[in-house]
Amino acid sequence: MKRLTLLLAGIALAATTATAQDYGIKTHQLKNGMKILVQEDHSIPNVALYIFYRIGSRNERPGTTGLSHFFEHMMFNGAKKYGPRKFDETMEAAGGSNNAYTSNDVTVYQDWFPRSALETIFDLEADRIQNLSFDEKMIESERGVVASERRTSVDASNMGILYEQLAATAYTAHPYQWPVVGWMVDIENWTMEDLKHHFDIGYSPANATMVVTGDVTLDEIVKLAQKYIEPIPSRGLPPKVTTREPEQLGERRVVVRKFAQLPILMMGYHVPEAVNSDYYPLQVLQMVLFEGESSRMYQRLVDKDQLAISVDGDYSPAFDPTLFEITARPKEGVQPEAVEKAIYEELERLKTGIVSDRELEKAKNILVADFYRRMKTINGKANALGRYEVFFGDYRKMFTAADDYSKVTREDLQRVSKQYFTDKNRTVATLIPEKEGAKQ
Amino acid sequence: MNRTFVSLCLYVFVFSSTLAAQDSSLRLPAFSKFQLRNGMTVLLLEQHEVPIISFSMIIKAGSTSDPQNKEGLASLTADLLRKGTRSRTSDQISNDLDFIGGEFDMGASTDFTAGSAEFLKKDIRQGLDLVTDIILNPVFPQEEVTKRIRQLTDEIKSAKDRADSVIGRYFFAYLYGKHPYGRPVDGDEVSLAAITRQDVQRFYETNYVPANMILAAAGDFSAGEMRGLLEQRFNSWPAKTPSPVRIDEPRPVQGKRLLLVDKPDSTQTYFYIGNVGITRMNPDRVAIGVVNTLFGGRFTSKLNTALRIDSGLTYGARSSFDQRKLAGPFTIATYTRNATTEKAVDMALEVLANLHEKGITAEELASAKAYLKGQFPTSIETSSQLASTIARLEFFGLDENDINSYYSKVDAMTMSDARRIIEQYFPKDNLVFVLIGKAGEIQSLAKKYAPSVDTRPITQPGF
Repeated sequence: MKRLTLLLAGIALAATTATAQDYGIKTHQLKNGMKILVQEDHSIPNVALYIFYRIGSRNERPGTTGLSHFFEHMMFNGAKKYGPRKFDETMEAAGGSNNAYTSNDVTVYQDWFPRSALETIFDLEADRIQNLSFDEKMIESERGVVASERRTSVDASNMGILYEQLAATAYTAHPYQWPVVGWMVDIENWTMEDLKHHFDIGYSPANATMVVTGDVTLDEIVKLAQKYIEPIPSRGLPPKVTTREPEQLGERRVVVRKFAQLPILMMGYHVPEAVNSDYYPLQVLQMVLFEGESSRMYQRLVDKDQLAISVDGDYSPAFDPTLFEITARPKEGVQPEAVEKAIYEELERLKTGIVSDRELEKAKNILVADFYRRMKTINGKANALGRYEVFFGDYRKMFTAADDYSKVTREDLQRVSKQYFTDKNRTVATLIPEKEGAKQ
Repeated sequence: MNRTFVSLCLYVFVFSSTLAAQDSSLRLPAFSKFQLRNGMTVLLLEQHEVPIISFSMIIKAGSTSDPQNKEGLASLTADLLRKGTRSRTSDQISNDLDFIGGEFDMGASTDFTAGSAEFLKKDIRQGLDLVTDIILNPVFPQEEVTKRIRQLTDEIKSAKDRADSVIGRYFFAYLYGKHPYGRPVDGDEVSLAAITRQDVQRFYETNYVPANMILAAAGDFSAGEMRGLLEQRFNSWPAKTPSPVRIDEPRPVQGKRLLLVDKPDSTQTYFYIGNVGITRMNPDRVAIGVVNTLFGGRFTSKLNTALRIDSGLTYGARSSFDQRKLAGPFTIATYTRNATTEKAVDMALEVLANLHEKGITAEELASAKAYLKGQFPTSIETSSQLASTIARLEFFGLDENDINSYYSKVDAMTMSDARRIIEQYFPKDNLVFVLIGKAGEIQSLAKKYAPSVDTRPITQPGF
């Protein structure tokens, strides 16, 4: 831990080129293809163990959308040694807790536990990876849970409803067009066969990376992994997702009208995947535009013109070309068009002018500070290491990121603004409030 | 690597971890406490893991100090601190803070106003200069007051578009009624409009005084140096006698009452059931936490098992005891689709009735103990958690023993303690219900649960 900090500080402050350091991270490859990353941190007697599977909603097809997420739920519903309920009951009785998340690209399982529970956790994980049971009754009950999750995260959330429409409109070919949680009608209709197929294509050990941080040693992790995980045979990898979203040739717009007190405005610009070199200038732009109350968009829309309650930007690492998303909540009495116009003016300003040195430096400082904040917890470290390994192809990219950001110039920012923030490349979604009683 | 060496290492590790497991103590890192001559309390805790320094500030006045009909004043005052000082404009403050990647946040709760700030070690002097300026020299420009009141009013409207972001506010208002805990911490559409710049200025002058301030720092510093940095900046803050408000102990509601908030676009009903619970100083709080873990505090809890795992009625069901200076609320919270509202409410009540009738098993008690002890270290892992923890201990008049005795209190709990805790602290027949949903579909159910039923549209101002 301490050694890592020193190395990072050196990189962040002096922006030196990375050498072949191990950054305190140790790796091991199991014979069945699963890679393990271990970072020892003995500050608390606890461990975070994350398993990243490279499968998500982009691996689905129409009719079974949301299947990856549903499968994530089924992974807690019983296997051979630990039957229904036993996974959670056993883990909690050993002092552990867990969660999981599914995205367009990955399904991630997270265990947090005292080091005394280490072997139990390996036993539990191995059991469900190898011998998950597919019980009809369980599937039906869990279908209800996922439908409730969809109702609360999408249907009861105007943001959720609008975002779904934005993605469905921005993509015409690529599977990022459907929601991770799935369309309700698909949730109601997927079958046992669909689940089994999903397990076959997504859950081979070779399709997974395990990250362990906390009060452990590499040797004990390797020994447990050899005992519990290595005997699980490797199967095939998921079929390659070959679809590429065709270039957008003109602005797309979508409107949602429903009961609401306030409107919402969202827009998405097609931008590249994580391993593209434009990832870094676009991230810096996101800082310049949206991070903190001194950011350009906050200053303009919330503070000066007082058009919006909030304005946010999001650009997250993705396997395939994705969206740079902007979300604004217009104030009462402000037309969404006025907010939209102000956003375009700020984006234009990036193309015609050049950001100041101080703005660029500020953005880089924020990125460095954010990096350290993620390093404060064993959970943050496990998640960050896994995401760099999976999305950028190498966990070491996490430690050279400060270097990659430091190379971004003001001219790069102007170039990527011109390239991506064009009206032809944009999709705009607006939620317009309807009064009570005006039902569709 | 040499195999024999590996197994020897493992042996030693396993052996020592067994010892650690037997030693049922987990201690807060040592910290120091002192008072500045103006009466401000300072707490310092060194933690040298990451080059970050975290601050936690508490001003001993929250929404319970809001004047009648000016609800939201404490919260607004906290928001406006960074909107201009004697020497910096709001823009300068934002720019200076963002430039060093710093974080600053201040907000009110019922009992106090809490702030947090965090900086990289290398920027600590600039960071502290900013925090000091924000706390000691705010000027509350009229235009910023007007702007923020409009923003907060719109925020309330926006929040009302999402049932789960406002159900707590409706529940606290309905449960506590006229008691100050029933008033909205962030105000409402009407009370915010009544607040003036002078109200903010007066609230600040009355309550932001050294004797009301607890400042905790945790992270990568040396205590001696940090003490000097703080004394340089805060010693000049003039002492002033605070004027705390006196608030009666809230009383639990007798009988049953139900509020239905009509949100006509709902596809799910969100509901809270509960009553007045316990304070942060309650001597039984650890044991209550153990029972609540089993009742509604973790994934395999009785509530979540019934409503989610076994029936698929909801994505999640939980319960909690919110612990404040006076008795905070006990709540059961979940949601389900419109058509299964009755089934879910019935089931939640049945789980509660079962807790009273059947209690918990010895096996469950052991599991909850292991769970709480296993998860506890992650609640005091980071510098920001540590700063916040020690500042709150100080506010509640507690000390490090509260944390350091946690494991032994968990260990000491018996089955007969559990029976007493259930009887004494978990409501049985006296219950308050708040439902947000589509009245057109669920209104007829309401009478079933309470003789006294109130209804209001979500568009009606206030909670």
